[in-house]
Amino acid sequence: MTMTSKRIILLAVIIAVGFVLGRLAVREVLNLLLGGTLFGGNIL
Amino acid sequence: MKTLKWGLLYTAAFLAAFVGSALLKLNSDPTHGKYNTRWDETIGKAYTDLPYGEGAANKFDLYVPADKSQDAYGLVVYLHAGGFTSGDKAGDAEMLEWLCSKGYVAAGINYTLFTEENPDASVYSQSEEIKAAMPYVVAAAEKLGYKLDRMAIAGGSAGGCLALIYAYRDADTSPLPVRMVFEAVGPGSFHVEDWGIFGLDQSPEAAAGLFSVMSGQALTPEDITSGAYLDAVKPISADRWVTKDTVPSVLCYGAHDKMQPFAASKPLVAALEKNGVDYRYFVAEHSGHGLQNDNKVYMEYLDAVVEYLDKYMKD
Repeated sequence: MTMTSKRIILLAVIIAVGFVLGRLAVREVLNLLLGGTLFGGNIL
Repeated sequence: MKTLKWGLLYTAAFLAAFVGSALLKLNSDPTHGKYNTRWDETIGKAYTDLPYGEGAANKFDLYVPADKSQDAYGLVVYLHAGGFTSGDKAGDAEMLEWLCSKGYVAAGINYTLFTEENPDASVYSQSEEIKAAMPYVVAAAEKLGYKLDRMAIAGGSAGGCLALIYAYRDADTSPLPVRMVFEAVGPGSFHVEDWGIFGLDQSPEAAAGLFSVMSGQALTPEDITSGAYLDAVKPISADRWVTKDTVPSVLCYGAHDKMQPFAASKPLVAALEKNGVDYRYFVAEHSGHGLQNDNKVYMEYLDAVVEYLDKYMKD
């Protein structure tokens, strides 16, 4: 596997992590305001 | 140099994904459009800010279907949220349009909010305003050519509380037979032991303060400890008006609600169960006041609303 391939895979992982954390951050802010759990119910 | 470029790309990609997904979540519709409607003159027409009293807030919006072929129509009143201190009927336009698209005359009613300008407003005074508004709503619909012969009442949060009070306490004096109520996260009972999220179970002073504002009666800490407050809050406590004749009810609550205690829904449900009322009670186990983490439960609640409207509001 070339270095470029590895970097592209890492980029995809970083995007996926950013996507998940972005939704979890909104969920947690809403939970702080309204009440709720970080996990369970909606997938994200 | 190449490593630096990739490092910047990783950072930018992370931030873009983080912000983008956050914005998507904030703007997502949990019903995926199932309970929205296209709104134009082929569906219905809205008449806004019709008066029902002397107060600045004594206004209602009326949504009437374009189809005028029916002999009589059902009225569905939807009362707005806002913690009894804020909010406006205009915020429920989508809900009212959707109800109208189902063939009902729909009404959103404003009520005098508890604010610095209106320190005497209370849940009780608001419930009395809703009661006073109903004959005006019926008259306005009839003036537009829509004869009404039955009604449902509904709301969210503060509006849900007021809807329950009207359906359970005031149905006997309603100008239209009340057939059902549906609401989400509205306080349905006022027992200090259930209001622990605000510390009312530990502080008679705090309980006296909050329940005084809500009931519109001056309560003391002694009233709380002696239980005398229960008479004062009865007019705003839906659970205390439940009988075997109480109308069918569809309710939804968040188990982790920080705005109104989930525990306060329990006496209401117990009263409905004890009296054999036809009711549905949905619990969003992972959500708070916004029912925000349980889209599936929220959809089930709305599906039940449709089921009950079809069952009790059709001819």
